[in-house]
Amino acid sequence: MGRPGFVLDVDERTPPLLMHEGEGFRLERLPLGSRVIYPPESLPGIVDLEGAIRHALLHPHGSDPLPQLLRRGMRLTIVFDDLSLPLPQMRTPDIRQRVIEQVLELAAAAGVDDVELIAANSLHRRMTPAELKRAVGERVFRAFHPDHLRNHDAEDPDDLAHLGTTPHGEDVEINRRAAESDLIVYVNITLTAMNGGSKSVAVGLASYASLRHHHNVHTLRHSRSFNDPPHSAMHQSYDRMADVIGGQVPVFTIETTLNNEPFPTALRFLTRREWEWNLTDQASYLAVKRSNDLATGKLRRRIWQATEAPYGITGVHAGAPTQVHPHTLAAVHHQQLTEVQGQADVAIFGLPYICPYNVNSIMNPILVMSLGLGYFFNLYRGKPIVRQGGVAIFYHPMPHEFHPVHHPSYIDFYELLAETTDPVMLETKYEKQFATDPWYTHLYRTSYAYHGVHPFYMWYWGAHAMQHLADVIFVGGNRSTTARLGFRAASSLADALELARDTVGANPEISYLHAPPMVLADVR
Amino acid sequence: MSGLRDDLRLLRHGRDWRGRSRVPRSAQRWEQPDNGDDFPTAWARTAAAVALRSALQQAMLKPVIWSQTRPVVHGREYLDSVRGPAVFVANHSSHLDTPLILGALPTRITRKLAVGAAADYFFDSRTVAAATTLLFNAFPVERRARRGRSLAAELVDSGWSLLLYPEGSRTVDGWLTGFKLGAAQLCSMKGIPAVPIALRGTFAAMPRGRRWPQPGRPRVSVRIGRPLRIEADETVPEFRIRLVRAVATLWAEDDLGWYGALRAAADDSLALPTGSHSALPTTASGQPAQDDDVASWRRIWEATRPPADDGPRQVWTD
Repeated sequence: MGRPGFVLDVDERTPPLLMHEGEGFRLERLPLGSRVIYPPESLPGIVDLEGAIRHALLHPHGSDPLPQLLRRGMRLTIVFDDLSLPLPQMRTPDIRQRVIEQVLELAAAAGVDDVELIAANSLHRRMTPAELKRAVGERVFRAFHPDHLRNHDAEDPDDLAHLGTTPHGEDVEINRRAAESDLIVYVNITLTAMNGGSKSVAVGLASYASLRHHHNVHTLRHSRSFNDPPHSAMHQSYDRMADVIGGQVPVFTIETTLNNEPFPTALRFLTRREWEWNLTDQASYLAVKRSNDLATGKLRRRIWQATEAPYGITGVHAGAPTQVHPHTLAAVHHQQLTEVQGQADVAIFGLPYICPYNVNSIMNPILVMSLGLGYFFNLYRGKPIVRQGGVAIFYHPMPHEFHPVHHPSYIDFYELLAETTDPVMLETKYEKQFATDPWYTHLYRTSYAYHGVHPFYMWYWGAHAMQHLADVIFVGGNRSTTARLGFRAASSLADALELARDTVGANPEISYLHAPPMVLADVR
Repeated sequence: MSGLRDDLRLLRHGRDWRGRSRVPRSAQRWEQPDNGDDFPTAWARTAAAVALRSALQQAMLKPVIWSQTRPVVHGREYLDSVRGPAVFVANHSSHLDTPLILGALPTRITRKLAVGAAADYFFDSRTVAAATTLLFNAFPVERRARRGRSLAAELVDSGWSLLLYPEGSRTVDGWLTGFKLGAAQLCSMKGIPAVPIALRGTFAAMPRGRRWPQPGRPRVSVRIGRPLRIEADETVPEFRIRLVRAVATLWAEDDLGWYGALRAAADDSLALPTGSHSALPTTASGQPAQDDDVASWRRIWEATRPPADDGPRQVWTD
């Protein structure tokens, strides 16, 4: 059994600590007295995974067993989480494949002919055939692709159905095939507490008309944090929409949770506590770091993106979404929650090479911002790890690089930041223009581009942090891109703390969130 | 190259020569029990390994240690009666202790001797574990667990003698600290004798933190005592006290002389460790300090005082 997470007080015995910085990492000596929030150690994965999936399907929460929901002549739609989960991509066979295969076995036994599989990519880029095959496996891919295994298209007017509005006047518009099915089976991977639950169908299969009700500055500023669903305005909106959907089409969800093994054995040192590194870990660190630093940018990216996570599955729960999700959240908390007493003046985060939107792609500056001020800042329950008016220090080189196929609207959005970085201003003045731009829509539907509005959502993702923090500093960040985003760059931690001095004084309290692996700070 | 140097410098920062870092205080609560006892050591007790080790010890280890220090060995004659497995118990203040004892004991004993080594120290790196096992026939001892799974009993059953340091770790101030029960328990359980050994001068010659003995061939002494057996009416804790007393008596010989140490033991005036506290340092006058609360520097001061030279007795004195 893994040890629980804990908060380390940096003392004179503490060796330099590992810090991710994009497609690289370093050791950093933190000032004495700094606190370091470590995640719980990885829990063991389920050994008999096939048995666990079968058990979940046959003994669901708040629902009849899946075989009883399947019948000859029905319309069955199997929806699964897209490329953005898990991170990094897990070693094959992917858990989605394992679950979908068992669902299809039951469907075949029940004589269901009309089966459609849809990737819940929402406004994300479409998955390529190779990516789809990787997620669902060879057998499923061969049997259903391309006609019955496809990506959700949020801009296809013929394949969208407006199911009504919530009591708050929010439009609920989702994929028509799913909406008109006799049963939706949703196959989920919950990597963080924000995933799964009502979000799955209400967001994964939604259109812009529906998403704009919760993916906006106001909602995100009132989602504290969006990794704490009971205190997230965004999740409350998801819940309202899920009620509307659930009233019209039955949803049987299968949620899976992961342990904290995001890196293969050769990179084991990335997940071990530094004072416990043995000679092998130290040699691996040195060898990987030197090779990584010497590699060209392209090669480095290719290697990191090819890294497969040996994730173990800690839980499989199936049934009615509202009944299943509490079990899923409990499993996530068991693996990721670390209790922290009080907030700091300065929070430090080492940002890794990957976020949900640059799988097999480039992490552009907007995505770096969203990863740092969005995802990492919001890895808390209760209160942020840094106080209101504090400073956040991130490690990332933030190069001025964009993927022209995957992120075309990001390139234009980046230019807008020269005019303003205020999320509200950007939302009111430019969001609709980008969201309805026919060229972006064309690229989203026919190429592999993120939707035109997606960079705005990324920017809103950091709206709560921008409001909360007095200053944001990127150690090692490219000066011009950092400045364009409205932040500051520092060449070292000492310089960053010097810059922060005007805001938090000479002897600030410092907390470093030691992630990945995933940790959710439970700040009291 | 400067990048590599910088990486190495950061990587080495705060780590010892084996790459081990100290555990930050706030992390001690979460320290992982070491699984050093998983390291296989049986290969080191095969005939080939015994022959190789014997050669290494006699041709390399002993000459090196004897060239860097001036060991004086007393009491080797008491070992004539030791036939079959025995537990050698010694005080421990330096990495010099094991090579010195191995060099001081007769080869017929060292060929069948296994050394208990801290699992969390010697067996956390496989390279270090392999070297230690080969050279010293070490086996892992879990010193933090209350009832750790240990090879010790199995080794005794197979006819191996053991060298154990019942203090559990090298002392920080050079003085005797309390003995753990394990060695006495083993003697009681297996009905084998315990041989007390006292080492003096090793703390001064190579204390914690040093990787090589002090220059100048410092004098060290290895005093071997008579084998002790647990009496029929003696409990294990009582036997442990007898062991501590035997080691302390040998230890005091450097200050008080052989007879003086025996008298002090008989008078019950020997400085003995109590609980987790070290024994009181003996002062330059040969008397134990009176004050229980002796500052740590005084312990170290006395422990690093060069032992009196064991030269020819002077007939004519002033």
